[in-house]
Amino acid sequence: MMRRVVITGLGVIAPNGIGKEAFWQANIQGCSGIVPISRFDARPFPTRIAGEVRDFDPLRLGLTEDEIVTLDRGSQFALAAANLALEDAALPPLNDAEREAVGVIMGHAMAGADEGERMWTRYSGHNQYLDNVPDMADLPVWNTSSARSLMAFVPSSVIAAHHQFYGPCLSISTGCSAGADAIGQAFWAIQEGQAGRMLAGGADSAISPASINIFSVMHALSRRNDEPTRASRPYDAQRDGFVMSEGAAVLLLEDCELALARHARIYAELLIFTSNCNAYHMTALPENGAPLQALLRQTLQEGGIEPHQLGYINSHGSSTLLNEIAETAAYKAALGESAYRIPISATKSMIGHTQGAASAIEAAVTALALYYQVLPPTINQEQTDTRCDLDYVPNVARAANIELALTHSSGFGGVNTALLLRRWRS
Amino acid sequence: MIQMERRVVVTGIGVVASNGIGKGAFKHAIEQGKMGIKTLPVADEVSPFKVGGYIDDFVPEHYLERKLVQRTDRMTHLALAAAQEAVYDANLSMAQEDPTRVGAVIANTLGGATFATKQVRQLHLHGPRAMSAFTAVAWIQVANVGQAALRYGFQGYCKVPVNDLAGGLDGLGTAYRAIRRGAADILIAGGCEAPLDTFVLFSQGLSGWLIATDDPTAYRPFDRHARGFLPAEGAGLCILEDYEHARKRGANIYGEIIGYGQSNDATGWRKLPENGRQYARAIQQVMHEGKISLDEIGYFSLDGRALPIADRAEVDALQHTFGTQAEHIPVSVPRTMQGHSYAAAGAIDTIGALLALQDGFIPPTLHCTYPIYNLNLVRNEARSLHGNVVILGARSYGGSNVVLAIRKIT
Repeated sequence: MMRRVVITGLGVIAPNGIGKEAFWQANIQGCSGIVPISRFDARPFPTRIAGEVRDFDPLRLGLTEDEIVTLDRGSQFALAAANLALEDAALPPLNDAEREAVGVIMGHAMAGADEGERMWTRYSGHNQYLDNVPDMADLPVWNTSSARSLMAFVPSSVIAAHHQFYGPCLSISTGCSAGADAIGQAFWAIQEGQAGRMLAGGADSAISPASINIFSVMHALSRRNDEPTRASRPYDAQRDGFVMSEGAAVLLLEDCELALARHARIYAELLIFTSNCNAYHMTALPENGAPLQALLRQTLQEGGIEPHQLGYINSHGSSTLLNEIAETAAYKAALGESAYRIPISATKSMIGHTQGAASAIEAAVTALALYYQVLPPTINQEQTDTRCDLDYVPNVARAANIELALTHSSGFGGVNTALLLRRWRS
Repeated sequence: MIQMERRVVVTGIGVVASNGIGKGAFKHAIEQGKMGIKTLPVADEVSPFKVGGYIDDFVPEHYLERKLVQRTDRMTHLALAAAQEAVYDANLSMAQEDPTRVGAVIANTLGGATFATKQVRQLHLHGPRAMSAFTAVAWIQVANVGQAALRYGFQGYCKVPVNDLAGGLDGLGTAYRAIRRGAADILIAGGCEAPLDTFVLFSQGLSGWLIATDDPTAYRPFDRHARGFLPAEGAGLCILEDYEHARKRGANIYGEIIGYGQSNDATGWRKLPENGRQYARAIQQVMHEGKISLDEIGYFSLDGRALPIADRAEVDALQHTFGTQAEHIPVSVPRTMQGHSYAAAGAIDTIGALLALQDGFIPPTLHCTYPIYNLNLVRNEARSLHGNVVILGARSYGGSNVVLAIRKIT
């Protein structure tokens, strides 16, 4: 007998809002977090905009001074989001045995890219773009305190250490689907009884010259440098690529029985986690979205629901032409006529693409949409792309009455992941 | 749909290790206690890392077309070579399978760091346009499963666990659980790593856990002079399969995965725990899940970090779990032969254990010349194996303890 799993805490660090409340308000008001890049001198680069988290105060978000000094920015985001999620869940102090049943799974796509580039520039002495990188000669080479974390296993480890959680702990690195995969794996861990509670989500901060440029050389990024807030425009005919962004989201998942016993506020129930692989191309879906079709069908089938019962989809919607054509085709093929009636919104229109964090942030948005019964918009819908003719909740949030919501993501490497959530009724 | 009672077996293995490429050569090497540590080709005057588990006879072009070799990192070359061996060994024909029920779980810790470093160099020396357009898909950790899926047409469950030095066991454990609950029928699972680049070793060396030395015998777990491990590259992949599915297609079965346990010491990423209490809990989970009795254990393949504090904690975990029996159970650190290949290590150890169960030997631990713990450590030479279960332990510098158990099907 599988246990039921519910979402009882949300922590978000995003360019358009820190903390669940600020973040949700920004989303339903359609606020963009895209700005001119300030983290380094971006003038030599074709893309000079990104989603930057501007008012991040790690001390205020519960990080210790040692954590602030030793952790890279992405790990700090992860820990801060975990702290926010636990605070939001109002989880009472747990004893040792209870903390043995709490685990952490975090998803990342670009962990260490920023810090690794810094380390390389000071190691090699070649630095063209970065400020404030100490020269190698000033560093005691074997002094561990001079190194900041740059590996993908660190964020989940520091969350476990900070809160003394002794349960399963690992990271998942499946590109842009990593955050949803982490949540899905954590969901299964509770379902199967390996843990009673799991913190799960995603975090990434890779706004550095190399991290931005690896996408620029693929012509994947928007170059709408003069209008940052209008740059990320999924489904709109004038889109010209995605916008790099940074952020984190962590969800507290609980065994339903534990949540009910402590009278926790429940945002939504996690019903189904499915994933598959394109086996088609490292960076693209086929135009008919066949793998995504298969994923949607499998999700509905495992959930035992019909397309018309689906009330909302939070899409991958990255502001990339091929992706959105494939997505739209997949919705029509898998959902039939219902595809035209189900509201779909792309959170990336407001916050850009936070890489490994994106699908976790979108899971948080989906849970909040079910909880508040409000659908956040896809902003920057100005000129309709005739190939994308579904209801993308253009520009303005909408009140809703929905029971079931789905969020899905597709990433480099071809991994597609979907999570199906249900409104909680006590 | 969710069927918890499904059993998961290993029907194929693929290994690329510093002391042997391919099942036959690798088995011979671990049975003979053959060392894979050698002088690193990248070692220049400034690098303090002179030796490691370098695979000097690996030719990527024997497995991959030239273009793909150039567009991917060495971690992916190693992974695809191991995948080819494993698929062949399992006699797996994708034409006979439903591709949506076949996937890959390949753990990796450092990503394509060598590829990425070269491109960062291009950027900072020659400007934005000098970077390769393949950088993004070459350096991400998901590149390995993505390329394997492309090559073989795996359309099912694909995941990439990252758990530092323990990731390989998580690769197998994650796949085991996915098949057990019915999310897939066949998964190629394990880990790969390619860390032997001067800068990458430097970044790892900042931790102080890698030994900067020219002494090929410097990796000495449970020894009075233990001071860390030597790095290695490698890949180990197994074909994991639903037992009924394997039986129906008449596959050769090496053994069954019977337990996967996880805990964390909650000490963070820079500190090692003083005791083995949480590690013991992961071992107990596996003993319980696999219904393992003490006399079934052929040997315990240890993490063997070779730092006094880590070695002590590992002995503590064994004593915590097995009491006075701890000193009698044969234990070994076979990775002393290859060096520590990070996320590949746990998978390579598991492949060694499957071969050991098949042929009845315990692969030895090298260079523990002055043992200081009360352990039944299989040193220097292989010993005959009694029992049909092997337990494998691995620990990360993030405090994770990961334990896996396999049983020979008799």
